[in-house]
Amino acid sequence: MKKIAMMLFIAGALSATLSAKNWVIDQKGKTFIPSKLTVHVGDTITFKNSDPFAHNAYTDDESNEFDVGMQPTGKETKMTVNAKESFNIECAIHPNMLLEVTVE
Amino acid sequence: MQFLYTLVISLLLLSINSYASGDLAEGKKIYNETCVSCHGVTGASDTGIQLTVKPRRLKDSILTTKQMAQIISEGGHAYGAHSDMMPAFKYVYEEKQIENIAEYVSQTFNSKRDARVKKHLSEENVKKIDAKKMHKIGKKIFKRNCSLCHGLKGDGDSIYVEQSKANKEFLFPYDLRKTIMSEDQIFLIVKFGAHYWGADKEDMPSWKKKYDDTKLRSVAHYVKKNIVGTD
Repeated sequence: MKKIAMMLFIAGALSATLSAKNWVIDQKGKTFIPSKLTVHVGDTITFKNSDPFAHNAYTDDESNEFDVGMQPTGKETKMTVNAKESFNIECAIHPNMLLEVTVE
Repeated sequence: MQFLYTLVISLLLLSINSYASGDLAEGKKIYNETCVSCHGVTGASDTGIQLTVKPRRLKDSILTTKQMAQIISEGGHAYGAHSDMMPAFKYVYEEKQIENIAEYVSQTFNSKRDARVKKHLSEENVKKIDAKKMHKIGKKIFKRNCSLCHGLKGDGDSIYVEQSKANKEFLFPYDLRKTIMSEDQIFLIVKFGAHYWGADKEDMPSWKKKYDDTKLRSVAHYVKKNIVGTD
């Protein structure tokens, strides 16, 4: 019984990992493109920067805490969605940038 | 006797009036000889002059007449501007002449300044919090947002500025340690952004959508108490 439970757990985890998706968000014209995203726990979000200046994407959401720091033009960075809790990502430099992430 | 009294008063008023307009006339004369090439005839900085740092739109400036005179006298760099595009005119003009220029700008182009400032301050919606909490909130926001351009010390030196230079996207954040602005003026610039108050670009953006007045006032308080005047 214990073995079956363990196998089911491993199978579940494996399936979640295999089905995890990577979403790409560009930062262009001081805007997150797209500006809304629906993801699942385990998914990753890649942030590109196509602007000719740096950005600093971050969230203060405790379950999905994330802060890229200074991200120069052309550099990519990635975060993993850890918790089933929707959150917003902002840019610390440009206050009108907002990415709404819904976690299902 | 009454005729004599009226005559004396009339002459006195006439002399005061001609003195004031004489001041403005001198201010106008110097402005049109010197300032107009960068700031434009109406203070709108619409001359088309190609400068790396665009001149301020004086008609939208938040600065008081006294602050303007200080900047005309000592130059923008002395009070935190990155460049010395706005030079020190104390080597060219007398103190009184400089005051006349500032008076001319204030009365002619920027006559709505006081009303704008008063209106925005009267609309301020700040919750009562103690100084300790205000300091904590201000410090946190300064570190999280402001320091990325202005630097942790507020001296206008940061990685963001360096990285932007590499892409020829020049940014010129103020050295906040040198600003002569009051806490109210800092609050209004943080709230509405520098463009609203006469800067050419929106590099110093408006933070009013992101933070409420209590948080913005806390930032202004923190800057005024902990950054301005430090080395």
